[in-house]
Amino acid sequence: MENKQDYVIEMLHITKEFPGIIANDDITLQLRRGEIHALLGENGAGKSTLMSVLFGLYKPEKGEIRKNGEKVTINDPNDATRLGIGMVHQHFKLVEVFTVLENIILGAETTKLGFLQKKEARKKVEELSKKYGLSVDLDAKVEDITVGMQQRVEILKMLYRDNEILIFDEPTAVLTPQEIDELMAVMKNLVAEGKSILFISHKLNEIMQVSDRVTVLRKGKYIDTINTADTTKEELSSMMVGRPVQLVVDKYEAKPGEVVLKVESVCIRSHIHNRDAVHNVSFEVRAGEIVCLAGIDGNGQTEFIYGLSGLDKVSSGKITLCGRDITHAAIADRGHDMSHIPEDRHKHGLVLDFSLEDNMVIQRFNEPMFQHHGFIDKKQVRNYAERLIEQFDVRSGQGPVTITRSMSGGNQQKAIIAREIDRDKALIVAVQPTRGLDVGAIEYIHSQLVAERDRGKAVLLVSLELDEVMGLSDRILVMHNGEIAGEFDPKKTTVEELGLYMAGAKHKKEAE
Amino acid sequence: MEKKSFFRSESFRSVLASLISIVIGMAVGALIICAVGMTDPSLGASSVGEGIKLVFGGLFSTGRNAQGVLTWGFNSTNIGNMLFRATPLIMTGLSVATAYKTGLFNIGAPGQYLMGTMASLMIALSIPSDKVPPVLIWIIAFAGGTLAGAAWGMISGAMKAFLNINEVIACIMTNWIAANLVTFFFDISNFKNVVENTKSGYIYKTTYNGVATAKLGLDKIFSGSQVNGGIIIAIIIAAGVYILMEKTTLGFQLKACGSNRHAARYAGIKDKRNIVLSMGIAGGLSAAGASLYYLAGNTEFFWSTYQSLPAIGFNGIPVALLALCNPIGVIFAAFFMSMLDICGLQLSNLTAYNEYITNVIIAVIVYLSAFSLFISMLLGKIGKKPETVNANEEKPVINDKTTVAEDAAGKGGNE
Amino acid sequence: MTYIIQQTLLYAIPLMIVALAGVFAERSGIINLALEGIMIFGAFIGVLFVNKMQSAEWVIAAKNAKDWMSLQGLEVMAMATAALCGAIFSLLLSFASINLKADQTIGGTALNLMAPALVLFFIRIIANQNTLQMQTGDAASWFMIKKTTLGFSKTDDLGFLGNTFIHRVYLATYICIIVFIILSVILYKTRFGLRLRSCGENPQASDSLGINVYRMRYAGTTISGALAGMGGFVYALTTANCSANGDVAGFGFLALAVMIFGNWKPLNIAGASLLFGLFKCIAAGYSSIDINGDGIYMLAELGISPHIYRMLPYVITLVVLAFTSSKSRAPKAEGIPYDKGKR
Repeated sequence: MENKQDYVIEMLHITKEFPGIIANDDITLQLRRGEIHALLGENGAGKSTLMSVLFGLYKPEKGEIRKNGEKVTINDPNDATRLGIGMVHQHFKLVEVFTVLENIILGAETTKLGFLQKKEARKKVEELSKKYGLSVDLDAKVEDITVGMQQRVEILKMLYRDNEILIFDEPTAVLTPQEIDELMAVMKNLVAEGKSILFISHKLNEIMQVSDRVTVLRKGKYIDTINTADTTKEELSSMMVGRPVQLVVDKYEAKPGEVVLKVESVCIRSHIHNRDAVHNVSFEVRAGEIVCLAGIDGNGQTEFIYGLSGLDKVSSGKITLCGRDITHAAIADRGHDMSHIPEDRHKHGLVLDFSLEDNMVIQRFNEPMFQHHGFIDKKQVRNYAERLIEQFDVRSGQGPVTITRSMSGGNQQKAIIAREIDRDKALIVAVQPTRGLDVGAIEYIHSQLVAERDRGKAVLLVSLELDEVMGLSDRILVMHNGEIAGEFDPKKTTVEELGLYMAGAKHKKEAE
Repeated sequence: MEKKSFFRSESFRSVLASLISIVIGMAVGALIICAVGMTDPSLGASSVGEGIKLVFGGLFSTGRNAQGVLTWGFNSTNIGNMLFRATPLIMTGLSVATAYKTGLFNIGAPGQYLMGTMASLMIALSIPSDKVPPVLIWIIAFAGGTLAGAAWGMISGAMKAFLNINEVIACIMTNWIAANLVTFFFDISNFKNVVENTKSGYIYKTTYNGVATAKLGLDKIFSGSQVNGGIIIAIIIAAGVYILMEKTTLGFQLKACGSNRHAARYAGIKDKRNIVLSMGIAGGLSAAGASLYYLAGNTEFFWSTYQSLPAIGFNGIPVALLALCNPIGVIFAAFFMSMLDICGLQLSNLTAYNEYITNVIIAVIVYLSAFSLFISMLLGKIGKKPETVNANEEKPVINDKTTVAEDAAGKGGNE
Repeated sequence: MTYIIQQTLLYAIPLMIVALAGVFAERSGIINLALEGIMIFGAFIGVLFVNKMQSAEWVIAAKNAKDWMSLQGLEVMAMATAALCGAIFSLLLSFASINLKADQTIGGTALNLMAPALVLFFIRIIANQNTLQMQTGDAASWFMIKKTTLGFSKTDDLGFLGNTFIHRVYLATYICIIVFIILSVILYKTRFGLRLRSCGENPQASDSLGINVYRMRYAGTTISGALAGMGGFVYALTTANCSANGDVAGFGFLALAVMIFGNWKPLNIAGASLLFGLFKCIAAGYSSIDINGDGIYMLAELGISPHIYRMLPYVITLVVLAFTSSKSRAPKAEGIPYDKGKR
């Protein structure tokens, strides 16, 4: 029996049910004082639910929470704050139009007669920022600062509230390898100052690098808690997924053929600032290869894809697809040779209130196969949708007539992939095709993309996940600040080298 | 098992939710009558019973007998007039419903209605009927009115599509502009009724030029009422709208744009064109309602309308919401609304209450329909056991509310 | 000139205060399309209050004794009552959109339908006609501040400023300006204001920091209702001779447009309202406006139809929105029901 005083916070036998689903099934998590404790699990394993319970956002059906060995009740985030628990959320909880300082004090303001006293707050924040090496510009608006600085604001928010238990939810997803290293250093520094850290992640490298212990969840169930030093990446990944996982994508050497997509000196105006969001970008994608646009989020990849797909105007330069100039072509026109798995499946990929079958033909309803004299041939649509559903194993409640909103994210993505691959176009554009999916779905999508490549398709992949970039692509283009910072062969480069280019520390111009 | 699934089905729940809204709305109306009747000594408790009876069954009221007691029975005038009043309501209801299905809130029906009124009246009164057969004039006037409304609707649509002005604001402004325009044009026209001295501020009836909607024998069935063939035309148009929205590629595109403009655009559908088009269709439908109403021959238009907007336009909103924006449902919702209308008239003719109570009822129904989704969700929960699904299924996505939220109140966007 | 300024203010002040009502609702995340309806309701309540109080003894005594302080007190009480009832009426919207997560556009529309229906129903029963007026006298004789009320004699010349701002004016105008300033300061300088604004931008963030989003949204909408109710009565008092007829001529909607034009910021809104007030003033009184004081009514002599002038405020609104809407920035989370369970 361990001494209870070792634990600063304990969640014991937590069970939380939702209608039709047990999100947390008898989960126990114990955080020691001054340790970095990793919480590992796939998307949907129940990590977020567990944290919501800790913050009083959900009431668990069973189980209890203890602070320093004593039972506590947490009804809302205020209680959690009072107990010294703070969290950096995966999607930052920041008010974009407020300044950094306003964001830090929001909810914990010092006031006199209801009026804000920003001066005192500023002093305290400045001290904290100095003490932990978290530099921020207090008067900048959050929407104007970098993602890295936004994360520092989130950390300062916790420190400003004198929290001693700090939770980091997937904190590295938006950072460059170098920024990740900095964050790891900051975390170690915080622990050294007496804070305790819970580190939620599904990235094994980082967990191995920084954590003291790991608790693994799978499908809502508690698997085990082990010392990081006593385990390996392979063991952790099979604990997380429930079976041995192939960490590397299995594929043959690419056999690039003719040029399918040719991009020449393309510039696209930004809607946020007055500069080019994409500046002077040129590259080619050939048949039978996967080219990846890598980079940190917000460096022009999204804008470039908008320009390529016709959602936005290209201000200068030229795009040639299968020998045809499509620089200013209509969206439908580009669709003759290009299929596109969009970044935001809810915004661009699906009409969520439409049925699955209607979504399957949303680009094709005007083709003679699906309509006669302006009337839709519902029977053909049904047959077509049923074929795709079977062929790509898209699971849904009521088959073709399921409203897509009610489907799981993984199956929504599968539906999009089925639709786009079946259109059988020379170029496939896939933007973050695996975001938010579990390992099984990711493996499936990767294998589909490789299969398409092997069938002679040109694939342009945009990804923020460096593991995916390294594993899947045949060539890597790193984008930074709207420009191509460098081109790499995944077999001849390292994640660290890519990171330097992604962060702008290196640029091909200097290298040349 | 089959039956059970129907009662659980979403459409059944929505219809049930609508019916519940109606019942609650009527109950609130009855409650207000009670409250007023009890507290106001000049009305008295006996009037409460009469008032409530008339609100619910005014359609079958035949007045009072010699003893001053309310009498009841089949009233062909009432029913005929109900059909007559339902005609423009069906059209404005269709207008709002179609726009709503395509993601637009058409609060501009009054303005479109006014433009339709103006165009069809001017055409009907200015083509000489001694040279052109009245039937042809009627058709031209109907088409002209419809087109004018469509064009007017397209203005708001274009503002939404190209300038990103929220359609609600654009519609409200164009409503008032239309009211002033119509007044202005009639003011300088020579269609003002100067023949009958008592009718100041009115335009000639179209019968002045020999133009009137064919009765198609309906006046025989419902003697003493204003009913005419317009109601048949309205029902045919409703069926046409249903086919357009459900069966054609155009309807598919319009709905796709309405549900998720971004996804539609990404799929190669011309979103801006479709927004303009769907406001055009909505405007045309409203205006066609006006044409059917004012070409009837027995209606006259008060032209100095710059201070008020036609209620029929706004009433398209409750009709559409009550019908859950289903074109066929719109027909029945419009019947219900015009029935309430008749009840209101009976109420103010026969008792000390007035017809505005029916407007209160309508407002309550609209209010309830704002959260009909909530009601139908509540209904769905009743008698439904939580199913046990594998815990590995991800949770369904229910947090994407793009269209309404993003376009709300003329938000500046990144188009 | 004095005439133009006074008339402009008469229109601009209700617009400004109701547009601020819109700001408080939308900055908390609720689209308040019901401003028009709440104004109608507030106007009715305020007028009804005045109408009923006119038979109260202290009021009659005050009127006879020319005790204008007490009469101004009556005006302020009517404003407060209208505000209170406007706030209560707006709870219908808050309840539907916050607790029941209703579509806020439809909810607002319902209130817009409900207010005139209810108001006309009661006016018909109370007054047996479609307009509720004061029992005796008119707004000017009861509530307007003139130089004689302030102790000057009829022949005194108070100079331009005096003539414009203390002769033939209503106290309500100045109360509205003060309320406007106070609330604007609250919105930007206090803890409450900061939290309210955060709920309209990112309620998930507010919630994660322990701010009760529901309560903040209720607060925003209720303040909004109070302001709109008060604005409705002020409109009825100053431009409709203290009468109510279930209509405020689209003022609530115009206020919404002013709010968008003013980019949800009080200072810009004040400017925008003055601009629209000016156009409204031209539309209403173009035939008696003497711009440069030479005795010639220029606008009337132009021979343009009054209907064109009446159209102006709406046309201008659209034109202005056409130019500004791409740059305007609505609170990010407005119109989206907040669900605590979802994060």
